[in-house]
Amino acid sequence: MIVIRDKKLKKHSNTIKMVVIYTLLGLGLTVMVFPYIWMILASFKIPSEIYNRFFPSRFTLENYEMMFSAGQGGSDNLFIRSAFNSLAVSSIATFSVVLIGSITGYALARLRFFGRDFLNNFVLFQMLFPAILFLIPRFLLMLELGWINTYQGMFSPFMVSAWAIYLYTQFYKTIPQELIDAARIDGCSELRIVFSVMLPLSKSVTAIVAIFTFMSTWDEFLWYIIVTKDYDLMPLSALLGLFTRGEYNSYPGIQTAGAVILTVPILILFFFFRKSFSKGITMSGIKG
Amino acid sequence: MSKYPGLGLVSLYVIHTIIFWLYPFLWGVVIAFKRWNIISPDKEFIGLSNFIGVLYDPLFWISFKNSLYFMAVYVPLSIVSALGVALLLSRIKFLQSFFAVGYLMSYISAGVAYSIVFSLLFSGDGLINTWLSKINITIPWFSDPDIAMASIAMIVVWKYLGYYSLIFLAGLQAIPESLYESASIDGASERVKFFKITVPLLNPSFTIVLVFAVMLSFNIFTEPYMITGGGPLDSTQTFVMQIYHQTFTALHAGYGSSFAIIVAAISFLFVYAIRKTVERDMA
Repeated sequence: MIVIRDKKLKKHSNTIKMVVIYTLLGLGLTVMVFPYIWMILASFKIPSEIYNRFFPSRFTLENYEMMFSAGQGGSDNLFIRSAFNSLAVSSIATFSVVLIGSITGYALARLRFFGRDFLNNFVLFQMLFPAILFLIPRFLLMLELGWINTYQGMFSPFMVSAWAIYLYTQFYKTIPQELIDAARIDGCSELRIVFSVMLPLSKSVTAIVAIFTFMSTWDEFLWYIIVTKDYDLMPLSALLGLFTRGEYNSYPGIQTAGAVILTVPILILFFFFRKSFSKGITMSGIKG
Repeated sequence: MSKYPGLGLVSLYVIHTIIFWLYPFLWGVVIAFKRWNIISPDKEFIGLSNFIGVLYDPLFWISFKNSLYFMAVYVPLSIVSALGVALLLSRIKFLQSFFAVGYLMSYISAGVAYSIVFSLLFSGDGLINTWLSKINITIPWFSDPDIAMASIAMIVVWKYLGYYSLIFLAGLQAIPESLYESASIDGASERVKFFKITVPLLNPSFTIVLVFAVMLSFNIFTEPYMITGGGPLDSTQTFVMQIYHQTFTALHAGYGSSFAIIVAAISFLFVYAIRKTVERDMA
């Protein structure tokens, strides 16, 4: 009798516990998502309602219209152009990080050559250096190369990532030697092995490398405001940041519309590749 | 070359690293010992003067103090909340990944975008203060020099909460269930289990989150640049803002470079101290 009542009691307290856990998680999630909801609603509000109302009394597109009519007018719109600039810079950097990362990772993991162990250690060593050390001298290098205010000035420092090389090297160590040997017997060159054997097998690593590189180059701000001078060359993050501090200082509607445009592409990427996002974070956590 | 294809394959990486990593790195060290305004061709060797100048620069110490203040709010707040979320997540099965993904959403917001959002949301007459004023409170989040840096720390907590939670959750999931079971048989309370099993075995996760959080504290730029511009009364000046200002507004490239080296050394020391004091060998 007593035992049964005990069990019932335990089951009952477990249910209460679960209700508490889900309630806490739900409340926390509401707080976490609230700024996004506010941002999207604010971008459709008339400016006077941005500060003191959560729900707009009516929806308007005027913030977006004003943003997209900024610039020299006509077809040459600053914000559309800057979105294109962002896309170009981030895509080139991402493509290059994946390409060079996988080729280098393959060589470091599977080939023997003079200096391999040194390079393996050097990749790890590079990851210890904070980015701030490179800000000024890379700017001076861009001056010397004449790459201030150019696309290559924006993406060239981001074309290689030690972190990506490290991930590919670790992953390629786990691939069976027979696959590589078979490809060699078929007459594949080493470069060909990377493209037709290794890369197709490492889609999960490539997804992680690609989304984190794309996101970080899309969000980058400091480097872009240093190497670009003309508005029509700036990526979206730089243009929006400078306009918010300058011309649009008293236009919160346009600011929030800009924030939406800056956030949505990465948000879409996030929902499609959410597993890779989580995996990438857990891996970097374990890597230590 | 054909005998060692490996050398050919790593050449792209090696060339890029020499041009965009090694060369700038060495150049940065060299100009830290020189007086140079970027424009003129003269670069005068001045020994350690730049480094000594930084240490006598009141804004260096103000930025240092601000970073420590940021850290004092950011580190405990983000660790407690992220560990809390991870512990809650570890106890559920149904909808676990839904919540994990939901909490991670803030991580992907761009620095410029979420700075705009929070600067409007928490402005003097913004929505949060409009709501608070109903209970007769208004908080000058970003305009009071005593709390501006804490407000910035709070929004950065928002950004990285899901990220740190995931690291903790992975750590929690790596703890063998059998440890808890045998502790229960020995009659251990939840509290004892938490402090004797969970906390010590989570040490790698604590270490990595602490290292990330401390490095971030010394490198913040976008949020204060966008929201407060370093004010009010220099209360949100940061190291990176100073380096940016010294180099690209005042054009003291050598001074900025020595400033950056000192900042890197400080963050190295902090990370080293964390590794020495917090990290335990998990044998």
